Amino acid sequence: MQRWIRRGQETYIGDEHPGEVGAVDNPAEPGSVRLMEATALDRLFASLHDDGYIVIGPTARDGAIVLDELAAASDLPFGWGVQLAPGGYHLRRRDDTAAFGHSAGPGSWKQFLHPPREKLWSARLADGGFEIEQAGRESRQPRLAFFGVRPCDLRAIQIQDQVLGRGSGNSRYAARRAAVLIVAVNCTEPGETCFCTSMGTGPAAGPGYDLALTELVSGERHAFLVDVGTEAGASVLAGVPHTPAGAAMIDRGRSAVAEASQHMGRSMPAAGLRELMAGSHDADRWDDVASRCLTCGNCTLACPTCFCTSVEDVTDLSGDHAERWQHWASCFDLDFSYLHGGPVRASADSRYRQWLTHKLGTWHDQFGSSGCVGCGRCIVWCPVGIDITEEVAALQAEAQANQIKNAETKDGSP
Amino acid sequence: MSQVAAPVLPARYQVVERQEETHDTVTLGLRPVDQPIPAYQPGQFTMLYAPGIGEVPISISGTGPDRGLVHTVRAVGAVTRALCACTPGRVIGVRGPYGTHWDVASAAGNDLLIVAGGIGLAPLRGALLSALGRRKRYRRVVVLAGARSPEEVVFARELDGWRDDGAEVAVTVDQAAAGWTGHVGVVTQLIGRAHLDAGQTTALICGPEVMMRITARELRALGIPAARIRVSLERNMQCGVAECGHCQLGPLLLCRDGPVISYEAALPLLAIREL
Amino acid sequence: MSGVTTADLTEHAFLRGMADGHLAVLARDCWVVPVRQGHRLFTEGDTARRFWLIRSGHVALDVHAPGGRNLIVETLGPGDLLGLSWLAPPYQWQFSATAVQDTMTFEFNADAVHEACESDAGLGYQLLRRVMSTASSRLQATRIRLLDIYAAAGTVHGGP
Repeated sequence: MQRWIRRGQETYIGDEHPGEVGAVDNPAEPGSVRLMEATALDRLFASLHDDGYIVIGPTARDGAIVLDELAAASDLPFGWGVQLAPGGYHLRRRDDTAAFGHSAGPGSWKQFLHPPREKLWSARLADGGFEIEQAGRESRQPRLAFFGVRPCDLRAIQIQDQVLGRGSGNSRYAARRAAVLIVAVNCTEPGETCFCTSMGTGPAAGPGYDLALTELVSGERHAFLVDVGTEAGASVLAGVPHTPAGAAMIDRGRSAVAEASQHMGRSMPAAGLRELMAGSHDADRWDDVASRCLTCGNCTLACPTCFCTSVEDVTDLSGDHAERWQHWASCFDLDFSYLHGGPVRASADSRYRQWLTHKLGTWHDQFGSSGCVGCGRCIVWCPVGIDITEEVAALQAEAQANQIKNAETKDGSP
Repeated sequence: MSQVAAPVLPARYQVVERQEETHDTVTLGLRPVDQPIPAYQPGQFTMLYAPGIGEVPISISGTGPDRGLVHTVRAVGAVTRALCACTPGRVIGVRGPYGTHWDVASAAGNDLLIVAGGIGLAPLRGALLSALGRRKRYRRVVVLAGARSPEEVVFARELDGWRDDGAEVAVTVDQAAAGWTGHVGVVTQLIGRAHLDAGQTTALICGPEVMMRITARELRALGIPAARIRVSLERNMQCGVAECGHCQLGPLLLCRDGPVISYEAALPLLAIREL
Repeated sequence: MSGVTTADLTEHAFLRGMADGHLAVLARDCWVVPVRQGHRLFTEGDTARRFWLIRSGHVALDVHAPGGRNLIVETLGPGDLLGLSWLAPPYQWQFSATAVQDTMTFEFNADAVHEACESDAGLGYQLLRRVMSTASSRLQATRIRLLDIYAAAGTVHGGP
């Protein structure tokens, strides 16, 4: 790839883009659209590091594209794609050098905002009582730059903000969230298991990003449209070579994203999911899915909005020191609903029903939106390949068949 | 209505009084060591912390002097056994108050019916005392309490005082030896004998779920509307602040939307198995 | 001539809704009987030739257990029917009944009622319907008590 030679010059290869002279003369502003070469990613990373951010983003490792700390732009998974199917995930070589041509990796951003294990507080036990020590006072919250947040995952973060960031209870989440800068990436190539369009969460990123990139790769050309969302995003671009994006490039980027919405691998019904879930408690389909579901909880681990936790109180051997820890929990765990000597939800039927009806139905009642963003991870990472879009379609068919049956009985009864 | 008004750290409360109610149930009088938790409404609960062992959700049974709290605990597990073993002087943790309340005041001008099963009388005690404290606001105040046996009636020593303060109190047990002059039978069998005025009654029910269902059914058969019957529901609770997901019952998060809910809302949910 | 009128009987919860004609038949062999606290109305094992409707007060059904203890099975009160064993063979009391407090009752002659029901099936049906309803309620209540729902978890199969 061509390197950026020096400021104030343009070295585009075979491009009719008129462009204007360098970043210094046209600082980015919220609402503006800039154009940045892929070669400038190094400068973007440097700018983030200079501002004190730890950059977290996708990288190819252990046969998957995982989210991890990135030291440099070269850690991004250039040229790597994925092949997705229910219960199947394979890395594959792309025939281009796209850095963001993949989806549904096993991890999501929740592991950084809502850690799998976290100490809530510690206490000294003495004198027939206890004394809380420096409760949850963490050392300065590290600033994190989430680099490469897909639109579905951006919505997922916002959904978790509603669950965990609202009440007075979790100031830890609020503190972590406030220290995050979001560089989103619009999708131009949906995965086989994606259905963000149905859930209204993509393929274009909604509001809430600091910067949003749209990757444009064709032949030798590799550039990014950069939508500037906030002042924080704009200031990160300072010192990074970019130019105002011309109408043609913007159009190319927007079209690519719009095209993507036509190529989703799966879909959900456009409306009525909440009502469908509310009416489906006695559906036969639950028996069907329960005969396949292992209740392993992988879906809840992979899902970017699943938030349930359990609390654990521990002491050391001396008995003088107590700690309370919080860790991820899953409604598929048999003891998740333990009450008075046994679980309320003992059968696999009831536990799968709880997960699905919560995610697509009662989440609305509890938190004001759907809990599903259409990322498809639960489909990919289910060891037996259960596909929630298929389950919803089956539930819908069963509901409609019942409606017809009931109507017939009413009409036909003597 | 509910508010998450309290922080997530347990506040320190000292046991100042200990009363053994039954062979496995103890009432503790607690006084704040540092800042007291916000004032509570009958029906709400706190998370009680047995230092080094863990927390359990326990409904508040009443208040004491100096912003004190009264809690009645039944020993059924490690945490509750530790709490029941506490003697005056021990300091435990309290978080809360959380959840919805009985809304006793809404029964003003009406008959207030309180039906309790077993230790379910504890979450109702605060409601009863609140009504007796403003006795003239209510017409009749009727308490029907069921227990396993005479030895397992909680607050047995307080019943006469409640009668003196203007409550009609009837107690029934599932099994009794001769010498027991009270009723023997399930608590719903007391309802008919109370001669309730369905149009004027607000009912508060608390006890095992089976008992609450059959009681609500009897009351509705009498003509008391489901909207004027309230129950206190229970599910696994851990955080108390609507963030851990354990206490879900369909669309409700019981630490926030309950534990007290109208029977109108509860009925369709209780009818679904393993919800 | 018992002094009990249809008006007296129609007030009683157990007989509510019964036709005057039927009530008149029942009233013929019916007496108002006050029972002192502690008095035993019938004893386990005796022949069942009477039954009662309780107007006020309470009666305890109990069984005798070795060691001189009486275990109370159930207490009945105003509006309740006392006595079921008179209805069908072996016509033998299964429990004893003792007044827990001073109690007022309507006492009926079981033989006379049987005869009246033989000749008037309508009366028989009305009576049996009410008896069945009472027996059914008591069966349901007894089943609930058998669940021992107030016991601590782990000792009872049945969950929350």
